[in-house]
Amino acid sequence: MRRRTFLAAGAGGLVALVGAGAAVWSRVPVIPKRPAPDPATALGWIAYRDARFTLTLPRAEMGQNIATALKQIACAELGADWHAVEVRLHDTRIARVKATVGSESVMLFAEPLAQACAALRDALAAGRTGGSVAVSPRPVSELRAFRPGDLIGASPEIVQGREIVTGAPLYAADWGVPGMLFGRVLRAPASVELSSRPARWNLEAAGAVPGFVAVVEDCGPAIGNAQGLGIVARRPGLLDAIAAALAVEWDIAGAHPVSDIARVVDIDSRLGAGPLPHRVLDGSPKDGPWDVDLRLDVPMAAHAPIEPRAAVAAWRDGALSVRTGTQDAFYVRDFLADAFGIGLEAVTVHSCRIGGGFGGKTLCTVEAEAAALARAAGGPVKVQWTRAQEFALGFHRLPSSHRVRVRVRDGQITDWDHAQVSSHILFTAAAVPAWMQRGTDAFAGDGGVARGMAAPYRLGRARASYDAVRLPVHTGPWRGLGAGPNALAIESAIDEAAQAAGADPLVFRLAHVADAHLATVLTRVGELARWGAPATAAEGQRVGRGFACGIYKKTSYAAAIADVAVDANGRTCVTRLWCAHDCGLVINPDQVRAQCEGNLVWSIGMVLLDSLPIDGGHVTPETFADAPIPRLTDVPPITVELIASERPPSGAGETAIVAGPGAIANAVRAATGRSPVRFPLRPEEFAA
Amino acid sequence: MFFTLNGERADIPVDWVDESLLFILREPFGLMGAKFGCGAGLCGACTVIVDGVATRSCTMRAGDAEGLAVRTIEGLSDGDRLHPVQQAWLDVAVPQCGYCQAGQIMAAVALLEQAPRPTTDDINAAMNGNLCRCGAYARIRAAIARAAEAA
Repeated sequence: MRRRTFLAAGAGGLVALVGAGAAVWSRVPVIPKRPAPDPATALGWIAYRDARFTLTLPRAEMGQNIATALKQIACAELGADWHAVEVRLHDTRIARVKATVGSESVMLFAEPLAQACAALRDALAAGRTGGSVAVSPRPVSELRAFRPGDLIGASPEIVQGREIVTGAPLYAADWGVPGMLFGRVLRAPASVELSSRPARWNLEAAGAVPGFVAVVEDCGPAIGNAQGLGIVARRPGLLDAIAAALAVEWDIAGAHPVSDIARVVDIDSRLGAGPLPHRVLDGSPKDGPWDVDLRLDVPMAAHAPIEPRAAVAAWRDGALSVRTGTQDAFYVRDFLADAFGIGLEAVTVHSCRIGGGFGGKTLCTVEAEAAALARAAGGPVKVQWTRAQEFALGFHRLPSSHRVRVRVRDGQITDWDHAQVSSHILFTAAAVPAWMQRGTDAFAGDGGVARGMAAPYRLGRARASYDAVRLPVHTGPWRGLGAGPNALAIESAIDEAAQAAGADPLVFRLAHVADAHLATVLTRVGELARWGAPATAAEGQRVGRGFACGIYKKTSYAAAIADVAVDANGRTCVTRLWCAHDCGLVINPDQVRAQCEGNLVWSIGMVLLDSLPIDGGHVTPETFADAPIPRLTDVPPITVELIASERPPSGAGETAIVAGPGAIANAVRAATGRSPVRFPLRPEEFAA
Repeated sequence: MFFTLNGERADIPVDWVDESLLFILREPFGLMGAKFGCGAGLCGACTVIVDGVATRSCTMRAGDAEGLAVRTIEGLSDGDRLHPVQQAWLDVAVPQCGYCQAGQIMAAVALLEQAPRPTTDDINAAMNGNLCRCGAYARIRAAIARAAEAA
């Protein structure tokens, strides 16, 4: 849609505002709504007909296998046979549910679902087989789904597992519709924060490609400020050829004020300019000298799901139907209604299984592209991003620069000062315009950046503060949000503090831990790995063992031990990993273990691999060769132990990422005697 | 022009000859198991077996499959009876998001057909090009070991 038409659609709910300090029209973005689930809403998720139940999954399924866990809850509460309950993914015709983010699906959705199932069970027991059921919530202690035994604490075959291993269609791009065409929206090879638009293109050359259908100028909202040019073809493989033939020339508005990200995301130069605006810990440490004074830098990283995002859109009588793999179908619906100036009731978004989300499939991009192209083409259109588009147009883990200073007296930490400069997560530039972000910066900070910055130790006089800077690249939620990088910085500093105190890292942590659950996972992983025993031997290499732990979102606990081997050239190999994990009552232990294993693999990536080449604010990788992710041979044997607990269930999808990276980095320190501070590690800095 | 697809003759539509093998499998033939992940043969999500060899279908021209035997994940099971590799994958609960899994399974099937008792080096060589962002690698190793035992 051209900008003018876009604004003219204001009657449908768009509001035009003058941007603060700039003579440009700015739209108020669509803000995701996040209603808490309740038992009455949950009645819409479970239905009974002809001796069978249908569970409409109120969460996105992206490999956390929440469909299996919630089916266990439903079956346990209903007293239903496993095969009597069919699970369906939701579309936006159910009552709104919040985005699937933050490891909260079991934590927040299991109880309302159990309450609804209990009410349905009672109604069936009373002989009712039709009509609607009312729910009056009962104490959790009366819910069968929260008592370990039978299905609760079991690991049945995963829902959709058989479809996955037989290749049945499950994902957005697997959807085929008769007459469907294939589309792509091209955008300028530049920072998405810069205003850019197509200026000239060779329509004649593109039209000469057999199977070419159309070039579409009216191709949906900008991504950031990058307006696109759409192409449509009869076969997917033609899109590359048409794009090449078009040879689009782009108008790109100047250069971004932040030309060098590394210069801005530099904690020392930022501290030189004055104190940081946002406080997580508000103590007043005494000035130096310090026993530990550590600077750590963690770069940008991609989510890199193996599934590039995809959508199939079709219009019929002014109504829009979209199939997509999204973490927030309702936000996608709201966004599409706003962008195309139609009512919410005219848009239906069907959730497909997501081929990897990790926080990256939470906005609306490819869905709007498909909808715009389908409208222009007059028939259904499938759009799946290329791998290069995933890198260039997605948002990413933010770059962060940390300085952590610690003072230790008589084996105890007396002063702590953690300073960080980074960018935004919750108020991501990918969704929040600059003028609005200035407001959130002034009044709220960014809770995503702050996540995990309050170290889980008795620290004496402790300060933790940060600043968030708008960059030419888009940053946003990435597994664990700020908790991964923050914990890596914290756990590295704690290890060096233990060293300064002449104490064993595990004993030193135990002496500073205030939380009994954290102490438990810490002790348990030490037993599992036989802490104190030498690291796994590797002939001719330096070996080391490292330890780290943490708390995620105040409710889940993890501790990890890593063994590494570092060769003469400084190349690090992780040779063994252990993890103890406590996320309260466990519904499906095997799938919680799977989440821990995944987080530990991400931990390897964070320390040894993750980075993202950027040129002038444009994220440039085209393939996995340019931005590698962990491979089979990067991953050692992994042992995970879950702590038995009857606390209410908490989150499992991101917790171990607070422990894994620190354990690996600390193992490298133990092996080489050098501080890992620039990630991913550069072998030349650790050569023998 | 035709090739053999899971044991049956599959005619290549004339205007799809220059498409990739992946897209001809997915679109006109409707076999959605093999996935598009990178389009450059670097992630393995599109892996199928061509004349016994694990092959990246995203970088193979459809026309170049003429006369060859192409096997996809849809052709593995015998009715409801899963192939031992598929069964091992379920028993070990390998899949998280599942998107790379068809490629992983086909690479493992090709490996086990060539090396029924694969060494760690065999597994590393055969599987290291199949990426799994969820990080299910330890389970992939376990499932291959289990399938090798079952065979």
